[in-house]
Amino acid sequence: MALSDIVSRRSRLDRQFDQLKRLEEAGQLKVRGGSRVVRKFFNNRLALLGLIIFTLILLAAIFAPLLTGWDPTRVNLKAISQAPSAEHWFGTDKTGRDVFARILYGGRISILVGLGSALISAAIGVIIGCYCGYVGGRLDTLAMRVSEAIMAFPEIILVLMLVTIVGQSLFNLMAIFIVGGWCGIYRLVRAQMLSIREEEYVQALRSFGLSRGLIAFKHMLPNALGPVMVNITLSTAAFILQEAGLSFLGLGVPLSMPTWGNILNAAQDLHVLQNNWWLWLPVGLFISLFVLSVNFIGDGLRDATDPTQQG
Amino acid sequence: MLTYIARRLLIIVPMAIAISFLIYLALDLSPGDAVSRMLSPERTTDPARLEELRHALGLDQPLLVRYWTWLTGVVRGNFGFTLTGGVPIGQLLADRLPATLELSGTALILSSIVGSILGAISALKRYTITDNVLTIVGMVGVSVPEFFFGLVAIVVFALNLHWFPVGGRLLPSYTTYWDHIPNLILRYARAAMLDALSREFIKTARSKGLPEWRVNLLHGFRVALTPVIVLIGFRLPILIGGSVIIEQVFQWPGLGNLFVTAVRNKDLPVVMTIALFSVVLVLVVSLLIDVLTAIIDPRVRLGG
Repeated sequence: MALSDIVSRRSRLDRQFDQLKRLEEAGQLKVRGGSRVVRKFFNNRLALLGLIIFTLILLAAIFAPLLTGWDPTRVNLKAISQAPSAEHWFGTDKTGRDVFARILYGGRISILVGLGSALISAAIGVIIGCYCGYVGGRLDTLAMRVSEAIMAFPEIILVLMLVTIVGQSLFNLMAIFIVGGWCGIYRLVRAQMLSIREEEYVQALRSFGLSRGLIAFKHMLPNALGPVMVNITLSTAAFILQEAGLSFLGLGVPLSMPTWGNILNAAQDLHVLQNNWWLWLPVGLFISLFVLSVNFIGDGLRDATDPTQQG
Repeated sequence: MLTYIARRLLIIVPMAIAISFLIYLALDLSPGDAVSRMLSPERTTDPARLEELRHALGLDQPLLVRYWTWLTGVVRGNFGFTLTGGVPIGQLLADRLPATLELSGTALILSSIVGSILGAISALKRYTITDNVLTIVGMVGVSVPEFFFGLVAIVVFALNLHWFPVGGRLLPSYTTYWDHIPNLILRYARAAMLDALSREFIKTARSKGLPEWRVNLLHGFRVALTPVIVLIGFRLPILIGGSVIIEQVFQWPGLGNLFVTAVRNKDLPVVMTIALFSVVLVLVVSLLIDVLTAIIDPRVRLGG
């Protein structure tokens, strides 16, 4: 390969560096304030797009009563399986309930299950992982064995097995997700803490005589949080997909409660699938779009918190 | 090497025993025992006869003895009977397993090949339109629920275009296959390839004057494949777990379908047996992967 080929092969990064260099030579380069992570995140177009979609869907679910006048659970036998119209934006289902209202209100439960379980399991995982990674000892061995045992189950098998044992309800489902979900973050934080423990600043803090809790939670944890945030987005996406899958099978949140998965439950019928597209297509797109936005955010966070990446 | 395998076994075997004990405990604590399952309560009301039968079956023994009897039975392939219908569970598993392996196995193999090739292309053309498109396609693939993907496939290819019959075997295979590609493999293969390309030996190969395709294919791609193969190994449990919902969408007569039916009927023995089966599969596979990586990469077994 000729040298000129290599030189002429310029990437986006090269152009960005060139521009920075030009600005610097012209004396126009200003030092921008604010967090470097935040700046890197907002420079990522896909991540920004993800954040916008995420916020829009979240707000639409929270302020559902302002966006639609229909009650998601009210049965109206005079308007069964109607196609979308000005009155019912996404049509009505087999018992005449407004599908648009069901998607908005269902989003509340689905997002609660996904985001709620992810945040709670992350909190548990961070606390145990932070303590065990720094202090170690018998609790660490125990937590390690328990997490290994839980992670030996394929996720969906573990969830369905526990559903069989404890029964179906919103609370049970979230509890099951948390039981299965804390291990990943625990092991992540533990590994991070084990490597940070060897840093010199930790040795210095220890020689100052700071308490173990203070060192672990105040001085070490913030340096381990980047991967944790990425992991929270990943598990949010996974939990929302699992809730949808389980409810689609009729084994997740009880059918009386509208969730994205429960709305899709109607699509198990081949007749509905062929003739009533509005019963399953919009809600499927909503789930996909929401999970996609969460994944974009996660990807953006991964790049933004990774110190080896420029931007 | 042998000490390494022994050390791994020392972790995995106690784990398998502990999990099987927990699973037995859940079975044991569930209402009703083998006797009340075998006999309908209307026919045999004599409590003395019931006790006699319990004694004959060893159900009045202490928990650990009962567990041992159950475990030795399981090892010999005697998994007990289903609650609904009283069919031997071992027989049921043997009937359903081939269908699941056929569906997930072909999907896993084909998607791994296509996924790693696409990932490598994405890495070679990084920061170009090809790379961006592949990355976004991968993200979308991960984000769309698998069963929704399956439903759309049914509507488009079976109901509207009539390319495949709804109840046929081709459509589910293709769906699972396409659903697995973006799932991790594409993204991991890209990262692995990028990592391999940034190594020193790539520069050496290039400076030797090797043609670009040789550098990429024989020096880069081959090294990038190692982590991808490990990842494929870790995804082997999806042979059982991953097809649970897809099998339901297509009414595929596999293990996942059996599992969901059992959960619906609250048939705990079947649910627990499949769970135990999948855990054993996961543990065995992880042992095999560990040994394989230790063979490929000596740093693993020496580092402990």
